[in-house]
Amino acid sequence: MMRRTLVFFVCSPHSKTGVTTAARLLTDYYLSRNVRVDGFDTASREPLYALFFPERTRVVDLDEVKGQISLFDRLLVADERPKIVDVWHRSYERLFATIAEIGFLEEARRLCVEPIVLFQTDVTESAANSALVLKTTWPDLTMSVIHNRGASPLGRNALTILARYPTSGKFVIPRLEAPMARALDDVDLSLSRFVSEPPPGMSLVVRAALKAWLLPIFTQFQSFELRLELQSSEFLR
Amino acid sequence: MVKKPVKITRAAPAKRQAPSRAQQAPSRAQTAKTAVAAPKGAARPAVIVVGADKGGVGKTTIARAILDFLSLNDIHARAFDTETPRGTLHRFHPDHTMIVDLTEPADQMKIIDTLNSSQAKVSVIDVRAGGLSPALQALDEIGFFDAVKGGEFRFILLHVIGPSISSLEEIAEIAPYVAEANYFMVKNHVNDTTFFEWDPQTHAKYFEDVVTSGEITIPKLSELAYEQVELCGAPFSTFVANQDAQGRAAEHSFVLRGYVRTWLARVADEFERVGLLELLDEKRR
Repeated sequence: MMRRTLVFFVCSPHSKTGVTTAARLLTDYYLSRNVRVDGFDTASREPLYALFFPERTRVVDLDEVKGQISLFDRLLVADERPKIVDVWHRSYERLFATIAEIGFLEEARRLCVEPIVLFQTDVTESAANSALVLKTTWPDLTMSVIHNRGASPLGRNALTILARYPTSGKFVIPRLEAPMARALDDVDLSLSRFVSEPPPGMSLVVRAALKAWLLPIFTQFQSFELRLELQSSEFLR
Repeated sequence: MVKKPVKITRAAPAKRQAPSRAQQAPSRAQTAKTAVAAPKGAARPAVIVVGADKGGVGKTTIARAILDFLSLNDIHARAFDTETPRGTLHRFHPDHTMIVDLTEPADQMKIIDTLNSSQAKVSVIDVRAGGLSPALQALDEIGFFDAVKGGEFRFILLHVIGPSISSLEEIAEIAPYVAEANYFMVKNHVNDTTFFEWDPQTHAKYFEDVVTSGEITIPKLSELAYEQVELCGAPFSTFVANQDAQGRAAEHSFVLRGYVRTWLARVADEFERVGLLELLDEKRR
């Protein structure tokens, strides 16, 4: 079975949909399994994702060609190390325009690098249309949606809204009560270490709630990863 | 203003006076004596002149793009660089480029007299800044345009224009020589030049003596990508293939190669759009 290097683009064309939370969770999922990860934060002015993983993350400015080189040339290194890109909503258009312009996806496939778009849902029609544009432009692109029930709830019409997205898979990030959500804001809180060694000073209630919130998310990432591995198995085709 | 060897103003000889028989005879005779005739049925050799009288408009970039385009379309070409003594085009395409002085008869012979005998059926001449009018005059004097008129050769002129009105004035200067040419006006945006829309009346005034075959727009290329190809000193296509000037594997940035590849493809689209391939290769018509 050929091992692929996974490259995740966690993105949304809109702000405050939970992109950084999703990128952080995915990074911590890999770290919790002792898998080394490279992170990229495209919010060059306010790099929040990079604050959580200062030693593993590069801040890149996609408006600059040097920033594009720093990102895409690294993403194409087929070293089997997952790479996670937190796509700032203001970099969204520029990112995909650059991908198209430089022929990134074609080159990635050639090098056994698997680009995966994790598209953050929201209630707007334009978000679903943006996802549709990506899928129409690159029909073979692996794309899943992330529904963050806390940051970007879809309300009663969740099923209808989700049906507009042209994706096969879906991740759900449950809503977290405000006191627990506040604990997440601490940039020193490592969710990967939290699973095995919760901070001793943390409230038992918060600890339990966070664990109950976190583990199902990690399970979703794990099943997604397994599914990808099975799909790439030559013997199962 | 630098005085050019022959100043042809718009008012006087914009419509080139037909040479008298006496004037005409020697040049034709000269051509007949020197040029080796092409075998019957063979494709007519083509000469592509890339030039402008204004400097810094990107003539050599266009010549380089043309050479890549021809190579990618399996059209064997050779090039002449008139930027003596050290040619820029020669630096990028040393195997196919000769540095020449178009005003020297010996160098004129190297180009014109070998058009039929050369394996390369397309000759690209990159004319140095300020050299377009003298170059065309030199070609006229040796009877090249008469040979073109007689169907012996094909002549394509890529006139790279800048954004200023002085570029339009150049059109008037070269007008007398382009009657037999496929004359293309090239707007080069590679270095982010912006072209204003000329007033239609002004535009028409300058073009009344010239029939253009089309307008070619060269898109912008990222400065960093352009600079890296310059440093590499290789053709654009070699850079895209991640090789150095000697053809060895290189480690050019994928992003920059991607930009150059896309740019080169867009330039090729432009050349194809105006029918350059059909002009050069009669079989494709």
